Amino acid sequence: MSAVSTTHESHDDLHAGGHEVPYSTQLRSNRLGLWLFMFSELFLFGALLTTRFVLWGNTRPDLSQEIGLLATGILLASSFFMYRSEVAIANGDQKAFLRSALVAATMGIIFFIMVVVMEWNIFGLSGDLFGIELFGHLKPSDGVYGGVFFAMTGMHALHVLSGVAFILIIWWNGRRGFFTAERHWGVEATAIYWHYVDVIWVFFYPVLYLMGKAV
Amino acid sequence: MNDKKAAAYRLGFITLAILAVLTIVEFFVAVYMETLVLLFIIALLKAAVIVQNFMHIARLWREESH
Repeated sequence: MSAVSTTHESHDDLHAGGHEVPYSTQLRSNRLGLWLFMFSELFLFGALLTTRFVLWGNTRPDLSQEIGLLATGILLASSFFMYRSEVAIANGDQKAFLRSALVAATMGIIFFIMVVVMEWNIFGLSGDLFGIELFGHLKPSDGVYGGVFFAMTGMHALHVLSGVAFILIIWWNGRRGFFTAERHWGVEATAIYWHYVDVIWVFFYPVLYLMGKAV
Repeated sequence: MNDKKAAAYRLGFITLAILAVLTIVEFFVAVYMETLVLLFIIALLKAAVIVQNFMHIARLWREESH
């Protein structure tokens, strides 16, 4: 969405019949739109969360606590770097913006790999490190536990993947000088979306890994 | 580094520290207390901190250009 902007409408523009929306107005509309979208996504994730409690009750599958905690830490840290990236571009620091965005994307990819390769164990690997099991055993066909776990982490992983894609897009455009301290809506939107992915995991992590008796 | 940027970076560090502490507390609460309500409260606190500090929800009703 391009933000056409003027800080004031010239007499000639009005006479030409052109309507130039001030950038600040466009920005507020963009922000509202994004938050409304995220509100709508709450219904999706809320439904998955509700399903977990209906089908698992006060139980949960026996998952690797180490993988869960480490992945959570990595995602929180990636949110921190995305915040730094946004602050940097808002203050005109292109280098810090690009560097922090890349770190955030890298950590997002690491999180994705931890879920898909380690927890889902799509390659059927086994092994341990210092006595800590590195790969999960749960399968999608393992009744309600497998079904709900893979549905929740799968939907979240899709959002992680799209978030990483957005970060890489703004990183690429940022390298070409697309964003300035005054105009960087793309960066702000990407950052907010990435933090939203983090907020979802803030709820998913305890309901999947911590709540209930392990069976 | 200007004051505004330094303050923003500082807020980022503080927020990350709060999130880290809450996550560790959450883990120990789950292992030693097994209380769902407290775990939900901690999750809500973490979410509130992220929404307030990282997502700048206040910008929705504040008049600012960027």
